[in-house]
Amino acid sequence: MLQGALAGLAAGGLYAVLAVCLTLMSRLVRVVNFSQSATGMFGCYVAVWLSIHIGLPTWAAAVVGIVLGSALSALLGWIISTWLAEADIGTRSAVTVAVLLLLISLSFILFGNKPQPFHPLLPGPAFSVNGVVVSQVTVVTVVLSVLIALGCRALLTKTSFGLELRALSERPTTAELMGIPAKPLAVAVWAATGLLSTLVITIVAPSQSNDATSLSMLVVPASAAALLGGFRRLDLAVVGGLVLGMAQGAVAQVDSLSVVRYFLPFLVIVGLLLWSQRKEVWDVAR
Amino acid sequence: MRKIMRCVAVAAAVTLVAAGCANGSDSSSGGGSGPIVVGSVNALSGAATFPEASAAAKAVFDAANASGGVNGRQIQYKALDDKGDPAAAAAAAREVVGADNAVALVGSSSLIECEINSKYYEQQKILSIQGVGVDPSCFNSPNISPANVGPFHDMTLTLLYGSEVLKLDKICALLEIAGNTLPSYQAAIDEWSKITGKKLAYMDATVPYGGSDYTSYIVKARSAGCKAITVNPVEPDSIGQLKAATAQGWNDVTWLLLTSVYSENYAKAISNAGAGVYVPAEFYPFTDAASAQTKEWRDLMTKNNIPLTSFSQGGYLAAKYFLQVIKGIKGDINRESVTKALHDMQPISDPMVGTSYTFGTGQTHHDNTAGWPIKLMSGTNKWELAATDWLRIPKN
Repeated sequence: MLQGALAGLAAGGLYAVLAVCLTLMSRLVRVVNFSQSATGMFGCYVAVWLSIHIGLPTWAAAVVGIVLGSALSALLGWIISTWLAEADIGTRSAVTVAVLLLLISLSFILFGNKPQPFHPLLPGPAFSVNGVVVSQVTVVTVVLSVLIALGCRALLTKTSFGLELRALSERPTTAELMGIPAKPLAVAVWAATGLLSTLVITIVAPSQSNDATSLSMLVVPASAAALLGGFRRLDLAVVGGLVLGMAQGAVAQVDSLSVVRYFLPFLVIVGLLLWSQRKEVWDVAR
Repeated sequence: MRKIMRCVAVAAAVTLVAAGCANGSDSSSGGGSGPIVVGSVNALSGAATFPEASAAAKAVFDAANASGGVNGRQIQYKALDDKGDPAAAAAAAREVVGADNAVALVGSSSLIECEINSKYYEQQKILSIQGVGVDPSCFNSPNISPANVGPFHDMTLTLLYGSEVLKLDKICALLEIAGNTLPSYQAAIDEWSKITGKKLAYMDATVPYGGSDYTSYIVKARSAGCKAITVNPVEPDSIGQLKAATAQGWNDVTWLLLTSVYSENYAKAISNAGAGVYVPAEFYPFTDAASAQTKEWRDLMTKNNIPLTSFSQGGYLAAKYFLQVIKGIKGDINRESVTKALHDMQPISDPMVGTSYTFGTGQTHHDNTAGWPIKLMSGTNKWELAATDWLRIPKN
């Protein structure tokens, strides 16, 4: 069981970083970004293409891919904050579902549906506890998720930039009237989360299955994790991601439960939704 | 807050939708009494595509047409798309068999076609020489006889190679089960046990297709003491499994895999293959570029810009077998005469396969029992021959 839980920790770290990105997006720019991992996937695929066909060194290609993922996210942010500035969160989020499907199709068309030869950035194990190996990727993703959550928290509470962002998310009209530049700030948030998710997918993709669909659909467990924090709390998003990854790993160790593994994120989503709505009267909740 | 919740609920469902993309398939329409219509049902678009088998069959027929056709008649080859969708597979079969009145199906390559259409082919009294058969129905129907070995005999072969040639003990199986394939894989493993008297150390039939992270399955197998693992994977899954083993620092595990991972693309994606990846290739290994066995096929594929893969070998062979049989038909070439000729045919041998091919009147067609062992070692990124002759499943 412990073995399985540790084995699931790498996936958990990845979910946690993506969940933090999703939480930031929903708090600061009023979007549940379903294309969060798809932009990362696309940046990552471009990086692989560059390193194979253009011959860029792995690290340089990875940097270009990460910048591209960030730019793609920023472009999407610019589109949404230009034409859907006043739209409600449902409409804004629906746009990102379209982008998710577009990016998956586009990667099939551009790169084919065969797996890509990714070169691992961090190969091999880091250390072992009681005979259970913890890989380098696990260490990096878990540390990264905690650092990003702490960093974002500090940024939002301790800096004037964070104050402006919070003003914008709490009282958008008042903030704009006070002269806070809404659009550039929103695009900056999109760019930053795009950068983070591409970075973490670039680290993890070489160590697991990396076809376009499975990478893009990482947004499902990440949403489950973000939901634990109600799309508001960064700390709970991190905890949610790590626990979900470990639970998946542990469940896979028991033959009779193994089938449940891939449904777990959905079960968590349904469970949390029901729990959060428990006090709602039917007519109000509808 | 509630809006976010609602959004997530909707999207949890929406994100289940995966997108595919379409490759064009060119099949000319027409018919009439002039040309001999031959059909095939293939996965040409969708999440997993196998366009090479029908492309290779088409190349064989085009070459035959260019040199005068069969008894003066041209062959009109129609490769239809099943889109990986059961309804589209059924519709495609009805189009080419019912409307176009094909004489036979040749070079089909699909994950679902046999299961969906085998009963229909029996009703219509039409035979199919499958280019690459995958699901169990391809091998236990009276009307379908694939040109390839198939994943089930391939699994028996890979286990035989592991236990008898590499002398490995503690072999474990991680099976990715889709649909009704578990009994067929179990039968393949039982056949190996019957021949060798050996048993698997451990079997896990819960490994999912298209999983993103296989670490927990690998950790489980390792703690069960496995020295070698046999899997029936698709390429991306296998890459994920090998990478999970690398990340765990498990470098002395031997992988006994199937022809489904035999591609140059796969070799490029694998830098750490543990103690080696071993595969019994269903056709003579195409990566042995200098081989005389594959020269004719290689020349034709290269001329027509068709990728050199096991799939194009299967499609090529299916078309060659078919041509040879119908060239011997005296009188009119129609569905009845083609069916009769295939039922009565003499075995055809080809240097690209270890078992000679015959359709015959059997109720099942699972007689191709030879594979050519190949290996992929760490750091080489290249498939190499691991034997100098075919490995065969001994006859009981």
